[in-house]
Amino acid sequence: MSNREKYQAAFAETFMLDPKDLTNLKYQEAAAWDSVGHMALMAALEEAFGIEMDIDDIIEFSSYEVGQDILAKYNVSIEKAA
Amino acid sequence: MSEGPNAVAFDINGIISHQRNRYPVLLIDRVTAVDPGKSASAVKCFTYNEWFFPGHFDDEPNVPGFIQIESLTQTFIMTFLCMEEYKGMKTNFVSLNNVKFKRKIVPGDVLEIDAVLTSFKRGIAIGSVQSAVKGEPACSGDFIVAVPDILDRFKPKTP
Repeated sequence: MSNREKYQAAFAETFMLDPKDLTNLKYQEAAAWDSVGHMALMAALEEAFGIEMDIDDIIEFSSYEVGQDILAKYNVSIEKAA
Repeated sequence: MSEGPNAVAFDINGIISHQRNRYPVLLIDRVTAVDPGKSASAVKCFTYNEWFFPGHFDDEPNVPGFIQIESLTQTFIMTFLCMEEYKGMKTNFVSLNNVKFKRKIVPGDVLEIDAVLTSFKRGIAIGSVQSAVKGEPACSGDFIVAVPDILDRFKPKTP
């Protein structure tokens, strides 16, 4: 599974969304992406990529796109969409 | 049940000072042992004077399931509310899974509850709780509870 597929799966499974609806998704735009959902997403990403995120990065992680830049800090490169 | 070197216990005043539930929904009487961040054990003594027995049911009083769940939850949250940095924080349910009710609980029964905290990270507590009356299994389940005051520290910035 590619990093993009892992990244999409974390969002889709945590928020029960179709992967095609993830582009441009922002915090609180999906019903499940509330403060509890945010912690569930962070846990899913940490498990998927074997990382532990800093509090500042968790707070900055405000959208599907921003999250990809944040993961790059942890040497997790999300491949460009085809 | 925790009996490790860090084990402590709370009477009703200790419970009140560590969690926010109050009458008529303070549903544990004594925390018999706590290993902070790991486990907690408590008891709840049910008397016919409980507010719910006349309605559940007048001809067959027994403890409603939601009351049993709340007793288990209040034991579970003591696994972390016993720690000074979390003392007195409010909690919310996130999910309940694998809940089972194995025994009717009636006036005069003492529910003995054992909770284990398997993960407590960034305001999300995950664990499992079991209970028994006279050694007979009663209610049990796997709980996830959130601490909003901690979650707020991690909320993303919104425009």
